Amino acid sequence: MLSFLYARQSGLDDPVRLRRAESTRRVLSLELNHNRDVDRIHGNGINTLDTEVIDGRYMLSGGSDGVIVIYDLENNSKKPQYTCKAICTVGRSVCRHVHKFSVETVQWYPHDTGMFVSSSFDKTMKVWDTETLKPAEEFQFDGNVYCHHMSPVARKQSLVAGVFSDQTKPSACEMVNVSLTGHRGEILSVRWSPRYDHILATASTDSRVRIWDVRRASGSLFTLDQHNGDKSKASSEAVNTAHNGRVNGLCFTADGLHLLSTGTDDRMRLWNSGTGENTLVNYGKVVNESRKGLKFTVSRGCSPEFVFVPCGSSVAVYGLHSGELITMLRGHYNNVDCCEFHPDYQELYSGGKDCNILAWVPVLRQPGIEDDETNSKRGGTQAAINPAFEDAWSSDED
Amino acid sequence: MSRKRALIADTFCLTKRRRCAADSVTADGAADIRSSLQYLMTLFSRKLFNDSLPPVVLKHQLYSLHNDKTSVDKQVNELRENGDLLMFQLGFDSEAFALVFAEDYRTKVLQGEAGRETLGTVEKFLAKLIPGCSDLSFNKEKMLKEFLFTDPAITQLVKSGVLTVRDAGSWWLSIPNSGKFIKYFIKGRKAVLGMVKKSKYGEILKTELEGHHTTSQVKFQMKYHIHEIMGAELVESIQTTSGTLLRYVDGNVN
Repeated sequence: MLSFLYARQSGLDDPVRLRRAESTRRVLSLELNHNRDVDRIHGNGINTLDTEVIDGRYMLSGGSDGVIVIYDLENNSKKPQYTCKAICTVGRSVCRHVHKFSVETVQWYPHDTGMFVSSSFDKTMKVWDTETLKPAEEFQFDGNVYCHHMSPVARKQSLVAGVFSDQTKPSACEMVNVSLTGHRGEILSVRWSPRYDHILATASTDSRVRIWDVRRASGSLFTLDQHNGDKSKASSEAVNTAHNGRVNGLCFTADGLHLLSTGTDDRMRLWNSGTGENTLVNYGKVVNESRKGLKFTVSRGCSPEFVFVPCGSSVAVYGLHSGELITMLRGHYNNVDCCEFHPDYQELYSGGKDCNILAWVPVLRQPGIEDDETNSKRGGTQAAINPAFEDAWSSDED
Repeated sequence: MSRKRALIADTFCLTKRRRCAADSVTADGAADIRSSLQYLMTLFSRKLFNDSLPPVVLKHQLYSLHNDKTSVDKQVNELRENGDLLMFQLGFDSEAFALVFAEDYRTKVLQGEAGRETLGTVEKFLAKLIPGCSDLSFNKEKMLKEFLFTDPAITQLVKSGVLTVRDAGSWWLSIPNSGKFIKYFIKGRKAVLGMVKKSKYGEILKTELEGHHTTSQVKFQMKYHIHEIMGAELVESIQTTSGTLLRYVDGNVN
């Protein structure tokens, strides 16, 4: 660590290198922190979490009871023990406009915290005003809305892509006016690329992942094929599919160059998002029993990037390009549904069916012995000596 | 309190890497896979099939011997490109692939075909297959145009067991007489998994399981099955101070 600091100071190394090395070290030491808590508001499972990109201070969560809660993640008290308070709630008793059924996805407006969008199984997608907590706009759909996403890089026009299930016609990915057809089964997940504001990826129960360019809504650009066009490997029905089962999770890496998809065949695949090629990184068995979309996330700013995938009741951390399982973060009592990475503090928040949001915080280095002595001399709030070891007859002046 | 050693990123352990350079994966990784394959082939019981089958190894057995699955996949593909190794789709699981050394395959197939009238066609097919082609299945156009086989020739190949039907107009590459192998394999796998499941707490030390007497269901060597269930992640392998512990994973189909 000192060598990194010296190299940065003397100009031998790029400033980014120190930041990346330290971020990676912090991510590798993620642990369930008993000092950090998140207020428990939801009465039912938590389906989705989203942190705003501007400050990284406020977090939204949506639950199976239709309730949406906003938390303040910043620790303003000087004490290490901190509970992230819920600032406001869109709850059943409080608000007339609350969603009637489970909220599947929430997302902050990418450019400021003035509004957020939520979509739910009551077939509506609502755009809320954060000040008044009333919906400014409401879209009606014909089927349950499984997922929606707003492009994080769109500047000229804000498009929200929502996917829903419909019994009568083939599932479509519907935006404000345009409808994209092509999938033969329900679409469980949709993501915009963080690199180009016109590229969209969708994952569906017909085992296919399609990449679309919304500027020409005629058909998908390409479908991701797990065998990279080698038709001989798969059985005839499985030709040109991304997974051997339903595809229920999608995530782009931060630079938008790669796309990860998870499926109910217990596999996770990494794709080159430009060519659609399967990079054949083998993650092993990534247990996936989720019937609806799975929300997982990739770290940002670390040197070997990490993928955090909910696997049953724990969160598995894999190296992105090496495919090895780094560690399993255990702490939830029931299935984990969603997780969200905070890039500035390298913290992970995960929510699940046990109604808890757990915060995984990097374990800091233990303070050195000199720090303890100076603290006790100054009479700081932290006791340098454990009270259990203190006795009544020895004196400090000795 | 955490007893486990903290994970350290590679960038921070330069000194550590220099000291234990001997342990890390070296440049001749390909030789590693080949030697693991040969070791696994020795575990295959030849006498059971009266020597009519070449030694067959499953691809995921390699995952139980090596940590990095991606590099195992890469090296297996390299060996296939070179024409040393052949891969087959076994049919009971879309992810289970069987590996056979090309030379063994050729000798056994020709040995099985000796004296039959299909010998000539099979020889021709093997000559086309072994140095060049690394496909797992063939469709009609490929057989007719590239390989220049006629329809009756294709029927002969199916009869000899080198091709199996995949669907109308396409065939999987297969190992002749492998039906018995698959049957014993599935039965044995189920029996070994049952042994793990029935043990106290659903977990058993690997060395203890190897020493278990094999029931009549298990025809292969225990080690062969153990590598297979470890590699396919049907059991969780946990390193303990007394060795590797295998714990049954719930939610298995088998």
